[in-house]
Amino acid sequence: MSNETDVVKEISAIKKGPKVLKLYMDMCAKCGTCATVCPVYYGDDDAKYNPANRSDLIRKIYKKHNTATGKVLGSLAGAEDYNEEEFKEWEEHFYSCTGCRRCAAYCPFGIDNSVITRKGRAILDKLGMTPETMQNVVQISLDTGNTDGASPTALKAAVEFLEEEMHDEHGIDIKIPLDKEGVDYFYVPPSGDVLVNPEATTGIAKVFHVMGLADNWTMSSTLFDGANYGLFTGNDGHMKADNKPYVEEAKRLGVKYMFMGECGHAYRIMKMMMEAGGWWGDLPFKVINCMQWTTELIKKGKLQFDKSKNPLPVTYHDPCNFAKSCEIVEEPRVILQATCQDYRDMYPHGADNWCCGGGGGLSAMDDIRDFRMEVSGKKKMDQIRATGARYVAAACSNCKRQLGQLMEHYKEDIAVGGVHDMLSRSILINGKAAERVDYD
Amino acid sequence: MSGFSFFVGGVLPYVAFIVFVVGMVYRFRVWFKTPQPGKMTLFTNQGDSTTKSVLAEALFFPSLFRGDKPLWTGAWIFHVTLALVFLGHVRVFTGLLDSMLMGMGMSEEAIGTMSATAGGGAGILLLVTGLFLLIRRMVQKRVRQISGLPDFFALFLLIAIILTGDLMRFGAHFDLAQTRVWAASLLSFSPQIPENGMFLLHAMLAQFLIIYIPFSKILHFGGIFFTQALVKRR
Repeated sequence: MSNETDVVKEISAIKKGPKVLKLYMDMCAKCGTCATVCPVYYGDDDAKYNPANRSDLIRKIYKKHNTATGKVLGSLAGAEDYNEEEFKEWEEHFYSCTGCRRCAAYCPFGIDNSVITRKGRAILDKLGMTPETMQNVVQISLDTGNTDGASPTALKAAVEFLEEEMHDEHGIDIKIPLDKEGVDYFYVPPSGDVLVNPEATTGIAKVFHVMGLADNWTMSSTLFDGANYGLFTGNDGHMKADNKPYVEEAKRLGVKYMFMGECGHAYRIMKMMMEAGGWWGDLPFKVINCMQWTTELIKKGKLQFDKSKNPLPVTYHDPCNFAKSCEIVEEPRVILQATCQDYRDMYPHGADNWCCGGGGGLSAMDDIRDFRMEVSGKKKMDQIRATGARYVAAACSNCKRQLGQLMEHYKEDIAVGGVHDMLSRSILINGKAAERVDYD
Repeated sequence: MSGFSFFVGGVLPYVAFIVFVVGMVYRFRVWFKTPQPGKMTLFTNQGDSTTKSVLAEALFFPSLFRGDKPLWTGAWIFHVTLALVFLGHVRVFTGLLDSMLMGMGMSEEAIGTMSATAGGGAGILLLVTGLFLLIRRMVQKRVRQISGLPDFFALFLLIAIILTGDLMRFGAHFDLAQTRVWAASLLSFSPQIPENGMFLLHAMLAQFLIIYIPFSKILHFGGIFFTQALVKRR
């Protein structure tokens, strides 16, 4: 059965908005600057990886059905009708864009091809054609509240383990409160920062402890993962359904701050979409990010560190959602410079940094691992090598997974972790840093 | 008067004017009214205010400068020269500028020399940068991969207009007074059309371009304010 009717209908709906997509249907000058700055095209200059071509998959059908010149002149006006053979390749095309928005930063018109990519993915999703790996993550998250499918029991066990670890490190009790009502801060990390790379979470717990706020923050034993794959599959309904329980939990707990962890897309959805877009009306709390908070404390001189605990050269990879979409650029650097002896920036960095190659959810897709290693992640590997760093910090679970796999693939002995991880290793509690040296 | 010259000098101007104005107003209206939920802000290359950032992009192409310097050089010179040539054409259509300049003490000869130097220089610069854009499109892999007929058509049309304009400036016959009479006669709906082959060819192509703009990617001269505002919004 052909999907023509559905695809054409979905594309023609762009006429009614959003404005951003409507403009992008009318506006590309085909200058090729997007290709110059695209991490995927850097890795392989095949025509199918040229961003303007990917966007044209949708643009040309839009023109064919919705513009006078497209209807009359057809391909002479850059318009083409739906093509079943080509549509079969849509999944590959729209899941080979990392949605990093780098093209938009250099396009003379600011055209953000990731918006068109997301539309392409949304159409695939409507037709049940979202890649299985992605669909599974969405389903698990909707069913269990987190993308790892971890139970509250598993979370509690992980938290207890972390509390024991911190006791071993510092010889005192440092708490990670669970389900505590009436506190000010509701910590929402990516679940990986509790289950897989938990040092970011111990870092946060230590800051709360040092600030005398150990009883004033909490995690939720049921809602502990800000990750939201609805952003990646293009399904707005799923994105909101995944988001709503967190907002309700924050209200139930009565907190003042939705305290987001080291997860770029989670923070972007909470801050730039949910909060800025007023999804659930007026909120009794503010959305903030843990790195902004810690940075402020460091600047006020409230935290002390033993930098000798982190002697190796460290660099920071800017997760695209944090740097390009949320302006979190300075904060991770303040933290790393305060906690490490030898911090080095990669070139370029900040909002101009290159994508890790696993953005837009691609990091979770093991079926395209070769593509992520050899094509989309190539530039990142070059950048990291050039710094000479032995540790790459990234405030994002997806980036961390991709970067870890890159190191494995290119046989580089460079550790990958978070930002608060380095803080956890060097922060002084009662004048002493953690007694532990066996870091990987 | 031949049918051709009547078409180019007596019909096309009105058609071009109406199509362009109605077409662009329609575009602007649609762009303005289409709803935009949520913010698309991109925190790179931000100035102190949205308006300033958008204006800077429209005037100096800073994003492109950071992305592709050779293209920026060619494209910026091309666009700025185009804007200057557009202003220069005001003088072709009306003597107002001349009287103003003479009021400021310039002699008729001095105005003519200035126009010949600036206009001639601009004509050559436009041709060179226009050809640069065309050759780039044919030679550079990443641009060739995404170039279709409309992209080449727009460039060929522009270069043909530039060439015919340059030919008039540097050789072929051109009568300034006659052209001004024609422009004035259009306003009173009684066109007096110069019988000048090269002029009519140039005018015809230029009017085709004006008609083509609202339907083509060249509408980016207006669209840039909308797309840049979306990502520069604070």
